[in-house]
Amino acid sequence: MRVLFLFLLAAGALVIAASTDYDERLLLRPLPQGALLASFNFKSNSSATAFDEQNFRYFPRSLGQILQHAHTKELHLRFSVGRWDAESWGVRPWDGAREGGTGVELWAWVDAQSDDEADARWLTLTNALSGLFCASLNFIDSTRTIRPVKIFQPEGYHPPSSTDSLHLLHGTLPHEVVCTENLTPFLKLLPCKGKAGISSLFDGHRLFDAAWQTMAIDVRPVCPQTGADCVLEMEQTVDMVLDIDRSKRPRVDNPIPRPLPLEQIECDNSKPYPGHDSCFPLSKTNEPAWSISEVFGRSIAGSCPLSGQHGMASQSVCVNVPSERTVYPESSRKFKEVRHDKESLRCYELPVGSDFDLSVSEQPPDVRIPLRQPTIYAARSITGHGQERGGVQTVIVNSSPTSSIEVAYLESLPWFMKPYLHTLLATVSGPKSPSSSGSTTSIKETYYRPAVDRHRGTHLELVLSIPAASTLTLTYDFDKAVLRYTEYPPDANRGFDVAPAVIKLLSPPTANQESKGVYLRTTSLLLPLPTPDFSMPYNVIILTSTVMALGFGSIFNLLVRRFVAVDEVPVWAPSGLHTKIGALVKVLAATFRKPRADSE
Amino acid sequence: MASTDGKATVERKPPPESQESIRTRRLVILAFWSVAILLGLPIWWKTTTIYRAQLPLQAMLDWADGKSCRPVFPLRIALDAPSLSSNDAHNLLRTTQHAIDDLNDFSAHHLRLRLRDHFDTRNASQEVHPDVGDLPAVGTPASFTDEDEGEIALSVRLLPGVSGTLPRAELQPYSPTLDVLYAPNQIPSPSSSAAAPAPLATFIANELQKLFAEEQDMLVYLLSSSPASSTSLQAQTTQPKPLSPEAAESLAKQSTRSFKYAPTYHLTFSLFTPTAAPSDWEIEEALATHVAPLLESLSTISNFTVDTQVQLYAAFSPSIREPEYDSNRGAWTLRKEDVSGFINAAEWPLSPSIGAGPTVNFVLYVPSPSQTPLVVADGDATATSWLVPQWGSILILNPTASNQQRQQQPTTLTQDDLAPAMLTFSSHLLSLLSVPSSPPSLPLRLRTLTRVRAASLLLSASSTLGSLARLALALPGIAIPDAVADAVDETVARLDAACADLREGRFGAALRSARVAEMRVEKAFFEPSMVGQVYFPDEHKVAVYLPLLGPVAVPLLMAVVKEIKKLREGRGKKEKEGGEKKKQ
Repeated sequence: MRVLFLFLLAAGALVIAASTDYDERLLLRPLPQGALLASFNFKSNSSATAFDEQNFRYFPRSLGQILQHAHTKELHLRFSVGRWDAESWGVRPWDGAREGGTGVELWAWVDAQSDDEADARWLTLTNALSGLFCASLNFIDSTRTIRPVKIFQPEGYHPPSSTDSLHLLHGTLPHEVVCTENLTPFLKLLPCKGKAGISSLFDGHRLFDAAWQTMAIDVRPVCPQTGADCVLEMEQTVDMVLDIDRSKRPRVDNPIPRPLPLEQIECDNSKPYPGHDSCFPLSKTNEPAWSISEVFGRSIAGSCPLSGQHGMASQSVCVNVPSERTVYPESSRKFKEVRHDKESLRCYELPVGSDFDLSVSEQPPDVRIPLRQPTIYAARSITGHGQERGGVQTVIVNSSPTSSIEVAYLESLPWFMKPYLHTLLATVSGPKSPSSSGSTTSIKETYYRPAVDRHRGTHLELVLSIPAASTLTLTYDFDKAVLRYTEYPPDANRGFDVAPAVIKLLSPPTANQESKGVYLRTTSLLLPLPTPDFSMPYNVIILTSTVMALGFGSIFNLLVRRFVAVDEVPVWAPSGLHTKIGALVKVLAATFRKPRADSE
Repeated sequence: MASTDGKATVERKPPPESQESIRTRRLVILAFWSVAILLGLPIWWKTTTIYRAQLPLQAMLDWADGKSCRPVFPLRIALDAPSLSSNDAHNLLRTTQHAIDDLNDFSAHHLRLRLRDHFDTRNASQEVHPDVGDLPAVGTPASFTDEDEGEIALSVRLLPGVSGTLPRAELQPYSPTLDVLYAPNQIPSPSSSAAAPAPLATFIANELQKLFAEEQDMLVYLLSSSPASSTSLQAQTTQPKPLSPEAAESLAKQSTRSFKYAPTYHLTFSLFTPTAAPSDWEIEEALATHVAPLLESLSTISNFTVDTQVQLYAAFSPSIREPEYDSNRGAWTLRKEDVSGFINAAEWPLSPSIGAGPTVNFVLYVPSPSQTPLVVADGDATATSWLVPQWGSILILNPTASNQQRQQQPTTLTQDDLAPAMLTFSSHLLSLLSVPSSPPSLPLRLRTLTRVRAASLLLSASSTLGSLARLALALPGIAIPDAVADAVDETVARLDAACADLREGRFGAALRSARVAEMRVEKAFFEPSMVGQVYFPDEHKVAVYLPLLGPVAVPLLMAVVKEIKKLREGRGKKEKEGGEKKKQ
């Protein structure tokens, strides 16, 4: 598996070296439990001079102008939904380097002379991207922006003279719901626009129905070692894990899943049944058969003619299944199949102008390409109870039995979540150290920038070391702030999303030079905050007014009224309205008095 | 029962109130009321009132009504007669000026002839202009100094002609110079009177009038179409000649077609094709050859940024009818009605460029090989390019014959393929910027554009000032921040400067001032803190005020009413008593 990854990455490197201006690639790999990983990758290059002169060919003009306007030298933008199930699916695609936290994540290196200028340009960038991608990126304000120190390093080449003026800014929007309206602008950035090539498979219904999906845009300057012209490389990546059964379900005839008729279900006959009408379905151990048109709802509309025509660059669709499994490619025109990596990777050169489909047969579970297991697992959760304070607990597992690891850990907390750093505690438990060891030993470095109410969030960055086959538990307590009346969102009782923590493996360094680093993101947290009664202001006005009026009225009357004996009260002069009311009162009094007099 | 008994027996009166307590009570009520009025009301007023900075409303309305400035366009024309003697030249100048004045019937736009200072330079070297130029005396034909050189609208060079019909005029296409060739016998003699002008003078006057005819039309149209200046036009002693309906119509068309003036325009050149080819074009070279020189000469008026893009798989929008094959023409035709929907705004990425200023789009559409050649049919005529008002221009590029034979689109469009398209785009650009179509000399047309733009900016800034003033008057609830007042002050100052510059014939300076004025006043008009005015509905106010003010106001009012009643009663009693006393 590792070999396969190396091979793929090497192929990518080859593509860069050959400096094809556009390259696209799709890798399909079945995962356990009837899941299918589809990993799309699009690379388009623009020479630095053409970019500066605003002559756009493969690089989209809309994004290019935004980058120039905001003086952004390197950009990383992520839209993600769902959770990668590392326990059953193994290593993340691209080692997590092309993946973002739930919602939207954006980080960029902005060229600016001062911090204030960088902030202003960052604001321009987020606002412009917000319009381009129909996302609420404009809500990435100073409270959601941090400047990470350790965890992100530039992927591209920046001349040493300019590194001083580069500012890294990082913003997250964990509450953002990624949906079709973000996919459409994403597709428009591609030269073939979803009309040809592998991008023709994108369908909002399937993409956002996936168990896990992430869309990434990475722009970086690349300067070859040979000293040739620098290029600006834009990489668009879409990774998703589809549930094969769910995707194969016909959408039109049977949109709601219903149980099959009893006759069509294979019953588990080893179990006793009370009658003929009951059945326990036999759990299928075979991996299901699938085809591209079934899973994606359509087949690939030929190759994108802009991508390279020779060698690896032309083989844009690859299927990673064991050699025993049968794959039937289908097309009316000429295509080519190439097998790599001991036949476990089958790649196809797509035909031009003709549909292409792939069917993969059912497969018994014993033949399966073993999944590479990740070195680290992580989980994060909120602990505690009540509306006043809580705690966060992060569990990081080093699964390597032999080597200890060092990781960087980044948290970007909203300002209304106020951590107490003195409660930060790292405990390590493992076979070698059954009892908890001191926290000082595992936290190597700490970068902490406390929050300022309504102006900036907390930035906490740690460097942690975890011994072999051990588990590190990181805990800290926090206070929940009380927000102002207008600061609550419309769905205040849902809670507030807290951005996922980002973990990067610092050592041991990966052997592969092309690797962009091993990253891992936890799930986002939902923080319940005390929510007020929102009719409060009017109630307050009424109540205080009443109290004030009562007080005023009694004091005023005390000062102004004249106090006399009861029998000295002057009788109202009988005139007009007064006489009428007086007569009415008398009549009423008489009717009331009569029965009373009778009873007496 | 006791009360009825009491009532039945005696009606007791409260003991008479002492004067002291009555006074105290009245003072208490007075104190409460004075707190409410002297303290409560001002605080309420102060906290709820909206800040409105002082605006010079009358001056603003005057500008809008055209009372403050009457735009005039005195054009200076240099007469260059190296071959004539000083006397002859002065004589010719005088007679020509007379002829021009007779011809001109639009007093705001008039031509002033001046003699270029040749008689001093003749002795010195030709290159060095001496600084002796005294201030030109009023009324006498003056000579130019160096500073004036930039403001000369046109140079007329008198050259002795040798052959051909004489006199004849030749306009230099790349400099604002009119060469007039004359025969020696056509020079007016000093003795001839102004009443019978020499044929040469009349000829020059006619030529000049012809050259500036379109500019005059544009200015007349501009001044008459703007409500601001209608009054100022009427105030003029001489009415301009009314435009012919055709001229007015074409000018109206031109003005709806062209962009509003902006200091910066973004030009976007896009290649669209419904297939994957051509995917590359030699646009850098084509732009450098065909568009860059034009932009260079336009740079005195506006700045331009240029960007290009290639967009493949660009399909028509579903709302328009697919092209049909017309066997008569041997071409695929698109109906003229569908041209307006040609741009698929939903899918083609033609978003405006970032930054201030409008974007001018130039779309080059290469049809797919199966639909080549593609033309737009309008009756019998066909076209492959058209102009979209205030948006840009579109050109359908059908492959040349050699490409057609290959039955396949080339992947790269060469510079030669692009040349005709670039020429069309250049002429469309001039049209979109409302550069006049005549005279043939480009520098002259650009100078005309400077004057027209300055006038139009002046008028539009004035009318925006008026709108702002009317807005401030119409909406008493709108806040007016100090920034708006400052902007208005600066606008008025700039407009004054622009108006003065126009009077002096410094059109470049006038354009600059008017540009700033327009920018400032637009910014003031769209001031965000003013646009989002604070609005509280009346129900809201009642809901907030009533719970507090109701219970507080009722005792206060009742106390006053009671006191006044008592006061009246007391007075009545006193009078009665007084009357009874008198009777006694």
